[in-house]
Amino acid sequence: MGLLNYLRSTILSKVVMAITGAILVIYVIVHTAGNLLIYLGQDTLNSYSQFLHSLGPILWIIRIILIVSAILHIVTSIKLKFENWGAKPTKYAVKNYLKAKFSSRTMIWTGIMVLAFVVYHLLHFTIRVTNPQHYYPEFYQPHNAVSYVLLERFDVYKMVVLGFKNPLISIIYIIGVVIVGFHLDHAIQSMFQTLGYNQKHYFPIIQKSSTALAIIIVICLVSIPISVLLGLVGGKI
Amino acid sequence: MKVKLHIWRQKNNKEKGKFETYELNNVLEDMSFLEMLDVLNEKLILEGKEPVAFDHDCREGICGACSLTINGIPHGPEKATTTCQLHMRKFKDGDEIWIEPFRAKAFPIIKDLVVDRSAFDRIIQAGGFISVNTGQAPEANSILVPKQNADNAMDAAQCIGCGACVAACPNGAAMLFVGAKVSHFAYLPQGQPERKLRVLKMVEQMQKEGFGNCSNLYECEAACPKEISVRFIALMNRDYLKASCSEEKLEVINNE
Ligand code: HEM
Ligand code: SF4
Ligand code: FES
Repeated sequence: MGLLNYLRSTILSKVVMAITGAILVIYVIVHTAGNLLIYLGQDTLNSYSQFLHSLGPILWIIRIILIVSAILHIVTSIKLKFENWGAKPTKYAVKNYLKAKFSSRTMIWTGIMVLAFVVYHLLHFTIRVTNPQHYYPEFYQPHNAVSYVLLERFDVYKMVVLGFKNPLISIIYIIGVVIVGFHLDHAIQSMFQTLGYNQKHYFPIIQKSSTALAIIIVICLVSIPISVLLGLVGGKI
Repeated sequence: MKVKLHIWRQKNNKEKGKFETYELNNVLEDMSFLEMLDVLNEKLILEGKEPVAFDHDCREGICGACSLTINGIPHGPEKATTTCQLHMRKFKDGDEIWIEPFRAKAFPIIKDLVVDRSAFDRIIQAGGFISVNTGQAPEANSILVPKQNADNAMDAAQCIGCGACVAACPNGAAMLFVGAKVSHFAYLPQGQPERKLRVLKMVEQMQKEGFGNCSNLYECEAACPKEISVRFIALMNRDYLKASCSEEKLEVINNE
């Protein structure tokens, strides 16, 4: 298999993990920023969603890049993990970790849980099959409209608010996002190391920023279901 | 001082090993860890029992022969110190100490605590050298080396090839050792002609030996008695990427 030849090289496999991971991390950052628009109200969030859907083929190109990245990321990680288990057949009776953090040692498990969460998340908000009762159209007035004709678009705001008003759904999202956070804590700095960017003076800063960025992303995303549960967002709906 | 030792005993590579427990009552604080094991072995010999096999040579922290994973840490609890330079004063009276061999698939056990680290020799043979004709040493200042490069090369050249990095790594990866050896030459002018071929060949041999993949856990750096930095792994990754898109790569493919 020509495309998957890189799997034979340990370093190239790691490079593929880093590059596909970087694409997914950039996506998560942009997605988080987009989700925060919920705090600017129904019209803003729905217009943003409408804009995304209006991208048409561009949206599909982005989706395909993301799907291919996710598949390569997963396939490569599984191959690496099986080889690593094979390379250390006997474990120590006593093992004291000196530097490896909890988040670094659990990448494969947090990864599998993130996948489960993303699948649920796509079924819930993108393919929209898990809660069909939450999906409504919104009638809105275009901003620079000359006439008073109301147009119809999908009400993402209402869908998110109704979804998160269910504590069970909110808890799934909160747990899912925290797991994403653990994954990112190790992942972001790891990318730099793998791609060969580790300089004496800057790498400690990169490592701290990796954790900080993961925490910021978690706080931003977790705040949404919490705000809905507390009635701070979408109280009217 | 008194210590209770749990030592891994294994006849050979075929048979299964297990922990045996020994108590020593006459350990002096100033003994090195290996001297403490010597005392145990003398006792075992007097009792007509098989002494514990372990590796050592220089006993001054420079040869890389000693090993042992002590309480879960290769070369024991003291930072930047080989087992032979670890002293019993780092332990407390009455301590229980677990002593295991360096564990990795690529380091098969020979006997008790002795493992076969010849995989490292084969990695060095694959490219850890520069090809020069022997003869008179050239005038030292005829090739200039910037201070920073000389420092980096010296940092990487500290590696004594002990294998603690592999032993510490949960994946049994040898990236720190190979990274150190690749970087040591990469920082020097004499290393440039074979730079790409070297990294390709050494990494290839490393994989053939059955070492695992790096997960950037940095356990190797923490366990390394010579404090080799993982930034040398980063440099090796960069060099390997560049070399993978070069003519040298074709040469390696064609020779296969
Ligand atoms: C509480 C946090 C989150 C909220 C509120 C949220 C919200 C949404 C919404 C509303 C959509 C649908 C957009 C639309 O149809 O217009 C969506 C899509 C998506 N989300 Fe999230 N999301 C969250 C966290 C995450 C995380 C952590 C990940 C990933 C690792 C993720 C991955 C995705 C993906 C892959 C899509 C589909 C993109 C596409 O193909 O269009 N989401 N999200
Ligand atoms: S890098 Fe450190 S731990 Fe690994 S072989 Fe060299 S000296 Fe030993
Ligand atoms: S015996 Fe030589 S380094 Fe320990």
